[in-house]
Amino acid sequence: MSDLPPAGVIAEFESAEAMVAALRAAKAAGWREMDAYAPYPVPEAAELLGAHGAPVGWIAIGMGLVGAVLAYATQWWLSVHDYPINVGGRPLHALPAFLPATTIVAILWASAGTLLALLVMNRLPRLNHPVFAVPGFGRASEDRFFLCLFAADPRFEAAEATRFLQGLKPRHVTEVPG
Amino acid sequence: MSAAADVSDTRPVADVPLKGQFGWRFALSLGAAAAGVLLLAYAVAALLIRGTYLWGTNIPFVWGFDLINYVWWIGIANAASLFAVILVLRRHGLRTAVNRFAEAAALAAVAAAALYPILHLGRPWLFYWVLPYPATYQVWPQFRSTLVWDFWGIMSHVVVTSLFWYTGLIPDLATMRDRAAARGKGLVARFYGVFALGWRGSVQHWARHQAAYRLVAALVLPMLVSAQTIVALEFATTLVPDWHQARLPLHVVITGIPSGLGVVLALAALLRSGLGLSRWIDEADMDLLAKLMAAASLGCGYLYAEELLTATLEDPATRDATLARLFGPYGLLHWGGAALIVLLPQLLWLPVLRHSAPAAVAIGLGAAAGVWLDRFALVAGGLLRDHLPRIGPLYAPSIPEWTLLLGTVGLFALLMLLFARLIPVVSMFETRHEESEAEVP
Repeated sequence: MSDLPPAGVIAEFESAEAMVAALRAAKAAGWREMDAYAPYPVPEAAELLGAHGAPVGWIAIGMGLVGAVLAYATQWWLSVHDYPINVGGRPLHALPAFLPATTIVAILWASAGTLLALLVMNRLPRLNHPVFAVPGFGRASEDRFFLCLFAADPRFEAAEATRFLQGLKPRHVTEVPG
Repeated sequence: MSAAADVSDTRPVADVPLKGQFGWRFALSLGAAAAGVLLLAYAVAALLIRGTYLWGTNIPFVWGFDLINYVWWIGIANAASLFAVILVLRRHGLRTAVNRFAEAAALAAVAAAALYPILHLGRPWLFYWVLPYPATYQVWPQFRSTLVWDFWGIMSHVVVTSLFWYTGLIPDLATMRDRAAARGKGLVARFYGVFALGWRGSVQHWARHQAAYRLVAALVLPMLVSAQTIVALEFATTLVPDWHQARLPLHVVITGIPSGLGVVLALAALLRSGLGLSRWIDEADMDLLAKLMAAASLGCGYLYAEELLTATLEDPATRDATLARLFGPYGLLHWGGAALIVLLPQLLWLPVLRHSAPAAVAIGLGAAAGVWLDRFALVAGGLLRDHLPRIGPLYAPSIPEWTLLLGTVGLFALLMLLFARLIPVVSMFETRHEESEAEVP
C-alpha cells in the first residue's frame, strides 16, 4: 500500500435497496462527492445523484439534424450547382430522390452521436480508476452494490467517512487506495 | 424465490467464453467454417482476376446470384435486428434470452450481404467512386441513382447495427473482465477490459447507458425499414414491368422476417443445447419465438395471396410479367419458396416440434431457404417479360457463383462461432435487471 492519503472510502452492500438507503442517508448527512456502483441500472440511485439520460437524447437529435442538413445540402449543391447533369429532362433538384440518403445519413449521425455522447458524458474510456483497486470491487459487475465517498469532498476525513458508512450496515467498509 | 436467484446469477453465462476447451464438435465446426471462408477468398480472387464473365449472368438477366444473395442476407439481418430492437423497446422478457445473439446474427449477415454489391460492380476495387469525394476529374456521383442510396444504406446498416450491439455489450464486457480477473486470467481480463472501456457500473453511467441503448434501438427501427426499402427500390425504380410496383418494398420487408426469425430460432435451439444455457434460454422463450415465427409466416401468406389478386387486376404488361414469374420457368422456385415460408413454419404451432432442437433448426433454416428461393424467383423470374423479346438462354448460376454463396455462408458461420466462443451469448445485465424487477413485490 502506498503512503498517499486514501482517494475515498467505499462500502459494499448486498442489495440495491440497502445501497439506495445508504445513498439517501449520505445525501441527508451533507456528503457531496460520491458515487454508487451496481451490476444493473438503479434509476432511483441515479436520480439521487442527479444523473439523467435526457441530455444523451438532445445530443442525438442535434447530431441527427446536422447529418440530415449535411446530406441534403451535399446532394443539392453537387447536383444543382457544381455538376448538373440533364438526364431525360428530369429536374436537377429532385426532393424524392434525395430523401432516402438524407434519412439514412441522419440516422447514421444520430446513432454515432448517441454513443459519443454516452462516452463523453460518462468520461469513458477510462481504463484506470481508484475504485478498481478496492479488493472485491469486481463483484460490482455481478451481484454487489457499492457506495463510495470521495476525498474530493470538502468535509472528507477518512476516519469520519468510515465511521459514517459503518453506521449504514454494509457488508464491510474499505479505504480506496490513493 | 430460488429459481429467480438461479437465473439472476449470470456467472455460468460469463464462464462459457472463459472455458479452456470447447470440445471437438466446436473445433470441427470452426474448421468447416474456416474452410468456407477460404473458399470465399478463392471465389473473390477468381472474380477479381478473371471478371464477372465467370457468372451465369447475361442480358437480360444482368442480376444473378449477386443480387439474390444480397437481398437474402440483408433480409436475414434486418429481421434479426428488427426482432432484437422491438424486444428492447418494449422491455419484453424475451430480450434477455435472445437479444444478444439475434443482434450478432444480424451483424454477421450484414457482413455477408455487404460483400455482394461491391463484388457485382465489375470493377470492385473502384467501389469508392460512389462516395462523394473530391476526385481529380471533379466528377460527383449521380445522387438520383439507387446505387448511391444503396451505398449509404449499407454503410449506415453496418455502422448502426454494430453500435447497437456494442452499446449493449459494454457492461457485459466489464463482467467478463471481472470474472476473468477473479479466475486469475490476467491477460484475458486485459483483453475484455480494453473493450469494456473501463466500465465500472456507476449508477450515473447506467442512467445514460439505458437512455443511449434505447435511443439507438429506436434509431435502428427506421434505419432497417429504409435500408430494406432501398434494396427493394433498386428493383422498383427500374422500368422492368414486374419490378416496377409500389408493393415491392412491402413484399421484401415482410417476407424477409421469416428468414431472420428462422435463423434466430435455429441459433437459439443450437446455443441452448450446445452451450448448456437452457436456464437462460428457457422453454417459454422458445415457445414465444416459435409462435412469433409462425404468425409472421401467416402474414407472408396474406402477402402472397394479395400478390396473386393484384396481379390479375394490373395493366396487361405488368400482369403478364407477374404471371410469367409465378407460373413460368421459375414458377416452381416461387411456389416452393412460398410453401417453405408460409406452410412449413405452421408446424411450430405443435409444442412437440418447437421444443425439439433438431425440428426447430430444420424449420428455421427451411424458412430461410424458402426466402432464398423467393428471391431467386424475384430476381431471375421478374426479367422473363421485359420490353424486348428475349433471345438468350435462361439464367442459371455457374459454379463460381455457388462457390461465392457457400463462401458467405462460411463467413456467417465463422463469425457466429467466434461470437459464441468469445462473447457471452446472453445479455447478462439485462437478465440481472429483469430478475431484480421481478423480485419487487
